[in-house]
Amino acid sequence: MTEQTPVQIFRSDEKRKQYSSGSFFLRIAILLLFLLVPFLFPSFKTIDLAIKIAIFATLVASFDIMLGYTGILSFGHGMFFGIGAYCVAFLLGKYGSPSYANLILGLLLATMVAIVLALLISFISLRVKAIFFAMVTLALAELAIVLANKLSGFTGGEDGISISLPGIFSVAFNLGEFMGLDVTGRIISYYLILFICLALFLMMIRFTHSPLGRVLQAIRDNEQRAVALGYKTFIFQTISITFGCVLATLTGGLYAMWVGYVNPESSLEVMAIMLNVLLMVIIGGMGTLYGGIVGAAFLLTTQTFLPDLQKLAKDILPQATLLHNVFERWLLLFGILFILVVIFFPKGVIGSAREYIAKRKRTDLASP
Amino acid sequence: MVPLLGMSGKTYLTLTIAGLAMGMLLFLVASGVSIIFGLMDVLNFAHGALFAWGAYVGFSVFKLLRNWVEAPSVLENFGVFLIAILAAMVAVAVLGIILERVLVRRVYGNHLFQILITFGATIVLVELIRVFWGPNDEVMSVPLTFQGNWDIFDVIIQRYRLICIIIGIILYAVIQLILKKTKLSTIVRAGVENREMVQAMGHNIFLLFTGVFAAGAGLAALGGLAMSIFSLQVYPDMGSTYLLFAFIVVIIGGLGSVTGSLVGALIVGLSYNYVAYLIPWAAAGVNILIMILILLIRPTGLFPAGK
Repeated sequence: MTEQTPVQIFRSDEKRKQYSSGSFFLRIAILLLFLLVPFLFPSFKTIDLAIKIAIFATLVASFDIMLGYTGILSFGHGMFFGIGAYCVAFLLGKYGSPSYANLILGLLLATMVAIVLALLISFISLRVKAIFFAMVTLALAELAIVLANKLSGFTGGEDGISISLPGIFSVAFNLGEFMGLDVTGRIISYYLILFICLALFLMMIRFTHSPLGRVLQAIRDNEQRAVALGYKTFIFQTISITFGCVLATLTGGLYAMWVGYVNPESSLEVMAIMLNVLLMVIIGGMGTLYGGIVGAAFLLTTQTFLPDLQKLAKDILPQATLLHNVFERWLLLFGILFILVVIFFPKGVIGSAREYIAKRKRTDLASP
Repeated sequence: MVPLLGMSGKTYLTLTIAGLAMGMLLFLVASGVSIIFGLMDVLNFAHGALFAWGAYVGFSVFKLLRNWVEAPSVLENFGVFLIAILAAMVAVAVLGIILERVLVRRVYGNHLFQILITFGATIVLVELIRVFWGPNDEVMSVPLTFQGNWDIFDVIIQRYRLICIIIGIILYAVIQLILKKTKLSTIVRAGVENREMVQAMGHNIFLLFTGVFAAGAGLAALGGLAMSIFSLQVYPDMGSTYLLFAFIVVIIGGLGSVTGSLVGALIVGLSYNYVAYLIPWAAAGVNILIMILILLIRPTGLFPAGK
């Protein structure tokens, strides 16, 4: 048998531990939790929250492919999310009818638009410096908002578009009771969207662990060295961007399916979505993919229960007006949190946890 | 120069002056971004928030000295205008110093983290505006003698537009003088390349970095004040709108070049005004189209900074 290279040894080691490590069981537990949410907490609020966490975790992971694995910051991710939502809405609502074919067609259309747009953006902005990408995507996202409002005849303007889902996914559908749960179209939609998110997530994990993904990480860490090794960085970056943007549009489509309604405020509030995604990826951890789940869960849960918190603060401390003002401006708190995380935990929750575990392992080895 | 595009000469002149004024205002915003990037290699996404702070500080000064603003005297109007400029620039420069000392200093040499950390600063600064001044749009008052038009051979010129053009020209001259006639820019750029060496030569590079950043912040404040008088309003999110214009301008002109910023700003200002007159619905997209065209032909912009 030939001698193994250090990389091969590392990989076979990784493969052996894959199904026995603690983090593997943690992942399974999270998946089980998502699967069981409708049974454990059958209120609409929690189901809504859970599926939004799943959708946003996928969106954040697709953003992370670009930011954490390729080192490219895009401000157009919210725009792609909105494009996906509108493509699905067009085919299911405004220009089509709710049928299974139209649903698939809508997602396909979204993918096509995303590929063309992502290639175009990469071509015009990536040729000089990666920072141009941030500026150009910011400009284009702003243009998209203006267009969506100007072309109100086409996009439905501020009134938006209502969507109804076909067949077994429609709100009216009811399968009867199963283990104490009323299985409606909503519940079936929940599982459909959850499984698509899971599939997309697994695809991204595969992508980052492929040879292509490793080249991307090499470019992120040292672009000049990657060029010297003979990689055409422009092409690799373009592939990564296109992949990330396509996934973002798909999650946008899923979001439209769940919410059942698309308008410039909810789906094309591009900058608010962008802000959320950035906060989530920074808090969860760049370059980890799983950080998206942590970030999305934290942010969405806080935002959902914020009104309750505000009320609680008013009930307990009716005099502290300053505290109330700060709660009113919760974005201020998130902004400060964002800065603190960037400065002190640039790897986020997941990255810092991994670092801590790795350090403990090393000290264990050092002191028998 | 530019073909008349079927406009009458007078309309053309009026539009050109409006375009030049808008261009000069955009130059005020863009020059700060460009200088901070050109000298310190820092991309400052918080520039828009500093711009909005400048506008709000000026708004407060105008409110405090309302008598002077409403007085029909050129002297008092200019007095309050200068006081507002000074207050806005000093206040925002102090903000800039804090920003540089506390945040930006940690991320020199790392573009990605610079964008992230200044973006975070933007969130906080804009929210602070909402806390201090309230979340609503406010009407910006204009000094009395700045209002109105001059009518020169039927060409209508708004007074404030002319003031904007003059401010822009003076500012360009001052910046060029400082960059060309002093060693400041050389020292700062050398400091980006090799900090220890420049310190060994006896220059306090950290003080210089802070100073340049504060100057850039001051320019943002000046731009914010001038723009808010021009557009007659202040609102907390105004920074992000104009930061976008600034980015388009510096991409067209070449990131890091002051002359490029001036040319880019004038191109954007003029084309916006011509197109808004000829094809109103296309005005919002024309700047981005020009930016894309320039990026396709010259990916580094019209006047790439010498590197």
